[in-house]
Amino acid sequence: MASLFQLENLTHYYGQHRALDDVNLDIAPGTIGLVGQNGAGKSTLMQILLGLNRPTQGFARLFGQDVQQTGVELRGRVGFMPERSALIPGLHGLEYVALAGELSGMPRREAMRRGHETLSYLGLEEARYRKLEQYSVGMQQRLKLAATLVHDPDLLLLDEPTAGLDPDGRNKMLSLIRGLASRPDKSLVLSSHLLGDIERVCETTIILDAGRVIGVGPMDDLRSSRPSCYTLSWKGEANDFLDGLREVGVQLESMDQTSVQAKLPEGKTTQLFFALAHRHSISLTALEPEEENLEAVYHRLIGRQDDMNAPGNRPTMSVGQEAAS
Amino acid sequence: MSVDSVGFRGWSERLTSPWLSSWSIARTGLLLVLRRKLFWILLGLALLNFLFMFALIYLKAQLSAQNPAIERFVDRILTSVTGTGDSYLNFMFLQGTVTMLMLAFAGEVLVGSDFQQGGLTFYLSRRISRRHYALGKLLGIGMLVSLTTTIPAVILFIEYGAMTDSLTYLRENWRILLGILGYGAIMATVLSLVLFALAAWLEKTVPLVMAWAALFVLLPVLGRILSRVQDDEDWLLIMLWRNLRLLGSWCFGSVDAGEETELIGWAASIVLLVCAASVAAIIPRLRAIRVVQ
Repeated sequence: MASLFQLENLTHYYGQHRALDDVNLDIAPGTIGLVGQNGAGKSTLMQILLGLNRPTQGFARLFGQDVQQTGVELRGRVGFMPERSALIPGLHGLEYVALAGELSGMPRREAMRRGHETLSYLGLEEARYRKLEQYSVGMQQRLKLAATLVHDPDLLLLDEPTAGLDPDGRNKMLSLIRGLASRPDKSLVLSSHLLGDIERVCETTIILDAGRVIGVGPMDDLRSSRPSCYTLSWKGEANDFLDGLREVGVQLESMDQTSVQAKLPEGKTTQLFFALAHRHSISLTALEPEEENLEAVYHRLIGRQDDMNAPGNRPTMSVGQEAAS
Repeated sequence: MSVDSVGFRGWSERLTSPWLSSWSIARTGLLLVLRRKLFWILLGLALLNFLFMFALIYLKAQLSAQNPAIERFVDRILTSVTGTGDSYLNFMFLQGTVTMLMLAFAGEVLVGSDFQQGGLTFYLSRRISRRHYALGKLLGIGMLVSLTTTIPAVILFIEYGAMTDSLTYLRENWRILLGILGYGAIMATVLSLVLFALAAWLEKTVPLVMAWAALFVLLPVLGRILSRVQDDEDWLLIMLWRNLRLLGSWCFGSVDAGEETELIGWAASIVLLVCAASVAAIIPRLRAIRVVQ
C-alpha cells in the first residue's frame, strides 16, 4: 500500500530549540492519532505536513510528493482544522464555509452549493445565515469542521477538534469524525491531548515526546507490548493468597473484596497464580489479561523514555525509529 | 461524484488556480467593510462630492445647450467642471480626504482582524500561499480606494462626454482617461501597501487611526512648518498625499518641463521608498505567523 506520509531524518529547530529530532516514519493511509505533551513536536509536524514550514534537515512526503515542492497543491488535498478560533468575524456561516471551498480551489457556485450541503450534514443548516460571532463553541467547532470538509479532502488534519466541547458535544464530534474517516480512500490525522479521543477514532498512533517518536504503530500492537498484567477474581477469603502474591514480587493494584489487578514480575508466568491459589485453598473465578488503554501505553512509554534519557542511559535509537525501520 | 455510506457527498472536480483565490479574499474583505454602517456613512460623504460634481456637469450642459454664449461664463464660475485633466485631478485629490478616513477605519476589518483573531490561520491553511493572501488583501484595499476615487472620476468623465459633444470630447481627451486610471492605480497601490503594513503591525483601529493621522495629517503640517521656517520647499516632499498628487499630475500630462519634472522625480523616489518600506514591513509579519499553534 502507498504511504500516506513519509518522514526521513526529519529534524527541525526553532533557533536553538529542537522541535523535531531525526524523525523517521512511514505511515500508511488510515486513521492516525498524534499524541504528545505540549512542546512534543505535534504542531511542528503538522506544520511541515501542510508545507508551511521548511524542515531544518530531512524530507517530508505527503501522498508521495515532496511537501516543500508542492505545498500549495498538496493543501488542496488536505483539510486542516486548527485548534485556535480561525474565524472571520462579520461573515455568515455559509459565507465562511463557501470561502474555504473557494480558497481550496472550488469554483464559487460549487463552493456555495457544497457549503449548504456540508452545513446541513453537520447539523448547522438552521444557523448558516447567522454571523460567526453568534455561534456557540460547539457550533464553531462544527463550523470549522465544515470548512475543513467542504472540498472533500483526501486527508483530514484535525488539531484538537474536541477542545472546549461538553461531553455530549464531544461524543457527537467524535462520531462525526469517525464516520468521515471511515470513508474509502480518506485518511485522518488527529492530534489531541485527550487520549480517549484518539483511542475512539484512530487505528494507528504516533506518540511524540520532546521531538522524538517514542511509539508508533497500530493501537493493538502498542497495547500488546504491555508487560504481563492480569485481573484476578476469586471466591472467599483471600488475605493469605494476596500476601503470598506480594511475597513473590507480584505488584497489586485496584484491589477490592473479590478482584485485583496483578502485575507479574519478570520471568514468572500465570502458573504462579494457580499454584498460590491452590496452596491457600482459593478458587479463582477469572484470570483476564488486562486491556491497557492508550493512556497507560502513553505513560509507560514516556516513563521509559525518561529512564533512557537519564545520564548513562541515553538511547542510541528511539522506539519510533525502531518501529519505522 | 458519489454518495457514500455516511451521507456525505464526495467532490472531485478540477480545481481553479490559486491566483483566483486572491479575488475571493478581496471580495470578502470588501464585503466585510461594506457590512459596517460607518462605512456607508463615509461612502455617502464621499459620494456627496461626486453627486455635487455630477449635478454641476449636468447643470452646465443644460445651461450651455439653452444659451451657448453662456458656456464661457459658466466655465469661469464653475472652474471645477471644465472637463480638463485638472478638474478630474482635483476631484480625485479632494476625494482623498474621505478615502483616508475610510481606510483608517477599514484597516482593522480588512487586515488587522486576521492577525488578531486567527483569520490568517484560516487563509494560509488552504490551497494558497502567503503571496496569494497578500495580493487578495491589497486588491481589497485597492478596490475600496477605487470605489471613492477612480470609479467616480471615470463616471464624471463619461458624463461630461455624454452631456457635451460626446464622441468628440471622449476621442480628443482619451489622455484624461489614462490620467484618471493612472492616478487611481498609483493611489490604490501606495495606499494599499501602507495600510496593509500598518494594519498588520498595529492590528486595532485606535492605534491604526493614530498612525494614519500621523502620516497624513501630522507630517503635512510638519512639512509646511519646516518649509516656512527653513524657507525650503523641499520639505513639502514629506507630504505623501502631495507626492501622490504630483505623480497624478504627471499621469494627466499637466507637468511643465524643468523644475517641476525634477520635483516629480523626487516625489516618485519618496513614494517608491514608502512602498519598499511597506513591503519590507509586511513580509516578516506574514512569515512570523504560525498556522498551527
